[in-house]
Amino acid sequence: MKDPDQINTERLAGMGTVALAQTGDGTLIEDPAIEAPLVINDREFADVTETVCGYAEKPAPLWWYAALTAASGAALMAMIFIPYLIITGVGVWGLNNQVDWAWDITNFVFWIGIGHAGTLISAVLCLLKQKWRTAVNRSAEAMTIFAVVCAGIFPGIHIGRVWMAWMLAPLPNYNAIWPNFRSPLLWDVFAVSTYATVSLLFWYMGMIPDLATLRDRAQRRIAEGKAMHLRLMLPTGKPLDIKFINMDKIRAFGYGLFSIGWRFSSRHWHRYEAAYLILAGIATPLVLSVHSIVSFDFATSVLPGWHTTIFPPYFVAGAIFGGFAMVLLLLVPLRVVLPNFSDLLTLRHLENMAKILLVTGMMVGFAYAMEFFIAWYGGNEYEWSVFINNRANPAEAPYWWSYWIMISCNVISPQLFWFRKLRQNPTVIWIVALAVTIGMWFERFTIIVTSLHRAWLPGEWHMFWPTWVDILTFVGSCGIFLTLFMLFTKFLPMFAMAELKAVMPQASPHPHDEEGGH
Amino acid sequence: MSQISTQSSPDAAMDDHAYQAVLDRLATEPALADDNITLTSAEAAGVSRLLLGLGVVGLVIAAGGFALNFRAGFAAMQIGLFAVTAIALGALFFVLVFHITNAGWCATIRRQFENVASLLPLCMIGVAVLLVVELATGGTLLRWLGTDYEGHHLMVHKEGYLNPTFLVIRFLVYAGIWTFLAFRMRGWSTEQDQSGDRWLTRRMRFNSGWGILAFALTTAFFAFDFLMGMDFRFFSTMWGVYFFAACAFSSLAFLAIVFAWLMSKGKLQGVVTSEHLHDHGKLMFAFTVFWGYIAFSQYFLIWYSNIPEETMFYIFRRTGDWALLSKVLIAVHFLIPFFLLVSRVPKRNPRFIAAIGAFMLFAHAIDMTFIIQPMVDAGEEKVIGLSSWWAIAGGVLGFIGIFGFLLLRKMVAVPLTATKDPRLPLALNHKNYV
Amino acid sequence: MADTRNKPGSWTRDIAMMMGTYIPGFAKPPARFVTEDGRAVHGVLAEFKTPAEVYHAAEKVRDKGYKRWDLYSPFPIHGIEGAMGFKRTKLPLLVAAIGFTGAGLGLLLQYWVSAVAYPLVVQGKPYGAWEPFVPIMFELGVLPSAFAALFGMLALNGLPRFHHPLLGQKSFWRVSDDRFFICIEAEDTKFDAQEVRTLLESAGSTNVELVEDDA
Repeated sequence: MKDPDQINTERLAGMGTVALAQTGDGTLIEDPAIEAPLVINDREFADVTETVCGYAEKPAPLWWYAALTAASGAALMAMIFIPYLIITGVGVWGLNNQVDWAWDITNFVFWIGIGHAGTLISAVLCLLKQKWRTAVNRSAEAMTIFAVVCAGIFPGIHIGRVWMAWMLAPLPNYNAIWPNFRSPLLWDVFAVSTYATVSLLFWYMGMIPDLATLRDRAQRRIAEGKAMHLRLMLPTGKPLDIKFINMDKIRAFGYGLFSIGWRFSSRHWHRYEAAYLILAGIATPLVLSVHSIVSFDFATSVLPGWHTTIFPPYFVAGAIFGGFAMVLLLLVPLRVVLPNFSDLLTLRHLENMAKILLVTGMMVGFAYAMEFFIAWYGGNEYEWSVFINNRANPAEAPYWWSYWIMISCNVISPQLFWFRKLRQNPTVIWIVALAVTIGMWFERFTIIVTSLHRAWLPGEWHMFWPTWVDILTFVGSCGIFLTLFMLFTKFLPMFAMAELKAVMPQASPHPHDEEGGH
Repeated sequence: MSQISTQSSPDAAMDDHAYQAVLDRLATEPALADDNITLTSAEAAGVSRLLLGLGVVGLVIAAGGFALNFRAGFAAMQIGLFAVTAIALGALFFVLVFHITNAGWCATIRRQFENVASLLPLCMIGVAVLLVVELATGGTLLRWLGTDYEGHHLMVHKEGYLNPTFLVIRFLVYAGIWTFLAFRMRGWSTEQDQSGDRWLTRRMRFNSGWGILAFALTTAFFAFDFLMGMDFRFFSTMWGVYFFAACAFSSLAFLAIVFAWLMSKGKLQGVVTSEHLHDHGKLMFAFTVFWGYIAFSQYFLIWYSNIPEETMFYIFRRTGDWALLSKVLIAVHFLIPFFLLVSRVPKRNPRFIAAIGAFMLFAHAIDMTFIIQPMVDAGEEKVIGLSSWWAIAGGVLGFIGIFGFLLLRKMVAVPLTATKDPRLPLALNHKNYV
Repeated sequence: MADTRNKPGSWTRDIAMMMGTYIPGFAKPPARFVTEDGRAVHGVLAEFKTPAEVYHAAEKVRDKGYKRWDLYSPFPIHGIEGAMGFKRTKLPLLVAAIGFTGAGLGLLLQYWVSAVAYPLVVQGKPYGAWEPFVPIMFELGVLPSAFAALFGMLALNGLPRFHHPLLGQKSFWRVSDDRFFICIEAEDTKFDAQEVRTLLESAGSTNVELVEDDA
C-alpha cells in the first residue's frame, strides 16, 4: 500500500514532478496553488457509504458500551437529583438571597452556548460555501440539539414550582394576567424554543437522504438474503448473537419511516437545496438572536458587570468559541477509535477548526478588553469595582481564581494556534479544546456570580458555594449530553453522506474541465 | 510575464515548472485579455473630471457652512471625511478577510478592494489635518481638548487617556498600521501580477492574521477617540463594533458601484460576472442585517437600562430635529436595503446593485450625520441642528468626489483584477448553484 | 404492451392520480401502458455509472422534448437544472410570505397583550413601545419560516410517499449509494418504450429496464 501522502499529492498535483509533502495525512499542503482534498485515500462514493453506514450497522464495539455505561451512569445523577430538587425545593442548591442565580443559569448559558456551534457550522459555513463543513456538520448539529436539551433543563427547574411553567406561554392565567412581553426572560422562552425547533428541523432535513441510504442498504441485504441479526458484545469481548431479531427488518422499517420515501430525484434535490439554503439563511440570524437574547437577560439590567452594550455580539462569539471546542472535544477521540474516520475528517479539517477557535477566542478576548477599558473609561466606580474588586484582583476578589481561569483558558490557551505545528497536532487541539470548554463555563460563572455576590451595600454581601446537589445535577446534565451523543454515533449517519459525496472531485459532471466544478 | 520565483518550500506540492503551466493557461485565458482588464487614463478621463468637479463644488458648498458658525462647517467636512474613511477601512477589512479565509471566488474582485483600501493613507492625512485644527482651536468637536470642562470630575478621571499627547500618539499608531497594511496588501498583490510568485499569497495570508487583530483594535479605538470621544462623558463598549459595521456596510455599497461602472464600460467581462455580483450582494445584505443588529442592540440596551450617563446620547438624538433623523436612519440604513436586497434578482443585475449601493451610501452619510452633527450644538446657545444640511450634503459629495477621483488614478495604474493569483481559475469559474 | 391512451399529461388527470394515490376509495385512472400480463407501466429506467454520463444523457433526453422524466442521483449534481431544463422553485416566495406574516402576527400579539388586553407599567416603559417586541417578533418570524421551508419543500416534492414504483425496483436501490438513473415515465405524451430504450442506451446507459407499477 502506498503512503497516503504520496497518493494524494500525486493525484492532486496532476502535473509536473511531485514533491512529497512531509507532514500529516497529505491534506496540510501549504501550496496556494493546490486545494487540499476533503476526503483522502482515494475514496469512491461507495467507500463513503460503506464507512459511514458501517458505524450505524456493524455491532457496537466494546468501548462504545463502556462509554455509554459511563455516560448514562452520569445521566442517572440528573434523573435522581432533578426530582429531588423539585420535591424538596431550590433550597438544596447553594443559592441565597444575594446570589439568586448561580450554577443553574451558568449551566444554562454554558449549554446553550455549546448548542450554537452546530447550527453555525451548518448554516454560516454553508452560506460561506466552506465545503469542509461537510465532515463535521452532522455531528455538530446533533451536538447542538443535545446541548439545547441540557440547556432547557436548568431554567425549567430553577423556578422552583415547575408545574407553573405553563405561565410562560402567551396565555392569560386564572387571574386574567398575561405574561410580560417586556421581560427578557420571556424572550428567552421564545428564543430557545424556536432555536430548538429550527435546529431539529434542520438536522432532520439534512438526514432525510442519509436515512434513505440506510433504508436501501437494509433492503438490499434482505433481498440478497444477507440480513443482519442482533449481535451484542459481552464484557468479555465475545459476541452474543440473538438470531431471532432481524436488525435489517427493523432498519428498513425505522429508517424507511423517517426517510419518508425519499427517492433522490433531481427535481426533489433542487427544492431540497433551495430549502436547505433558506433554512441556513434564517438559522444564521437565529443563532445570533438566541445568544443575544440570553445576553439581554443580563445586559438590560442596571447591575455593574452585567449592563454593557457589547454583550450581544460578545455572547455570540463566546458561544461559537465554546461550541467549536466541544465539537473538537468529541470528534478528535472519534478519529482514533472509529475505522476510516480520519479519511473523512482530515488534519486540515482540524486545523481549520483550530483557526476558528483562535479567531473566536480573540473576539472574546477583544470583548473582555473592551469591557475592562470601558469600565475604567466610563468613570463609574461601581462598574470598575466589579472588575477589580470582584473579579481580577486576587487580594480583594474572593472569586479571582474564576476570573483568571477564564482569561487563561479562553484568551491565552488558543494563542498556541498561532503556531502551525501546534494547530495541526490533534493532541494539542484536544487539550486546548478541553481548556476552552472549562474556560467558557467559568466565563459564565464569573459573569453571573461575581456581579451578584456583592450588591451596593456591604450588608448585602454573600458568597456562593455550590452544594453537592448543584454539582451532581451538572454532572447529570453532562451525562445526558454524552448519552444522547453516544446513541447518535451508533444509530444515525454520523456524516452527511450526500453532501460529502457532492464535494468529492468525482462529483463534478465536467471531470475534464480541470478548474470546473465549484 | 518574465521570471518565475525560484523560491521553494518543503510544503510545495507542485514545482515551479508545473505551476508555470498553470500560469501559461491563465495567460491565454480570453477573459484576461489586456483591454478587458485594464482601464486607460483616456477611458477614465470623463468620469475623472466629473468627480473632481463634484469634489471641488461639494467642498466649496461645505465650506459655506463656516458662514453659519465654525463648528457647522467643520462638522460638514468631518462627516464627509469620516464617510470616506469608513469606506476605505471597510475595504481593508475585506482584503484581510479574503486572504485569511483563503477564499477563492473573490480573487477577481479583490483588486478593487485593494485600490479602495490604498486610499486609507490619504484619508489619514485628512484626519491629521482635522486633528491639527482640533488642537489649534482648542477643541471644535472634540470639546474635551478645550478648557470648557477643565476640572470636571470625569475629565480628571480620564486624563490619563484623554490628553492631547496620547491622542496624537494613538492617531499615529492607527495611521501607521493601516498605511502599512493597505500599501503592502496592494503591493504584494501587484507584485504577484508581475512575478507570478504564488508564495506571495501565503505571505499575504500570514500578514492578514495579525493584521485583522490589529485592525479590530485600531478601528475600535479610532472610533472611541474621534466619534465617541466628541462627548467625553458618553461610553459604550459596542461603539467600536458599531463603527466597524458602518465601515463594512459602506465599503460594500461603494464597491458595488465601482464594479457596475466598470462593467458598463465593457470591462471585466467574464471576470466579474453576475455570479460575483450575487455574492457581493449577499455580503451587502449580510452587513445590512449586521448593522441593524449592532445598532439595535446598542440602542436597545441603553434604552432599556436607562442609566443617565449613557442614555443622554440617545435622548438627545430623539428630540428636536434629531427625532426625525433617527427614524429616517432606521428606514434607510436597515429596512429599505433589507427589502431591496432580500431577493435574488436585484443582486445579479449591475444596474440594480449599483442603485442600491448608491442608496446605501446615502444611508451611510445619514449615519455619520446622526453621530457627528448633534455635537455641533452641544452647549451652544444658537441651535444649528439640521439647518446646515446643504453643507453636510456638500461635504459628503465633495469627499466622495475627491475619493472617487483619487481611486480612478489608482485604478488606471494597475490591472483591474489580480492576473496571476493561484486561486484565479476558481474565481473565473465561480458559480452560485441553487 | 398495449396502449390505453386517454388524455395523457393533463392537469386534471394529475389531480385524479394524486387523489388515487393518497386517498383510499379514489380509483386511479387507468395506466397509459400496460405490459402483456396486464400490469401498469411506470416508465423506463436507465442506469449510469458517473455524474458526467448521466449529465450528458440528461441533455439528450431534454433535447428530445420529454417532459415527464427525472434524474436520480445520490447527491445533487451541480448545474443539473440546466441540463434537465426545469425552472427555479418558487419555495423562497412561500417561505418569505409565511415568515413576514408570522413576524407581523407576533408583533400584533405582543402589542395587543401589552397595550390593550393587560396594560401594566413595567420598568417605566410606555405600553406600546416597539423596542421590547423586537426579539419575539423576530423569533415568531423565523419559526413559521422554518416549518414552511421544510414542509413546503416536502409538499412540493409530493412527500411523504412510501410506495413509489421506483422504490420497489431492486437495481434502483443503489441510487442511494453510487449509481445514477434516468427514468422516463409512461405518462409522457411522447413515451414509446422502444424509442426510449434506444435513446437511453445510445446515451451510454449500462442497464435499461422497464418499471412496473405494482400498486
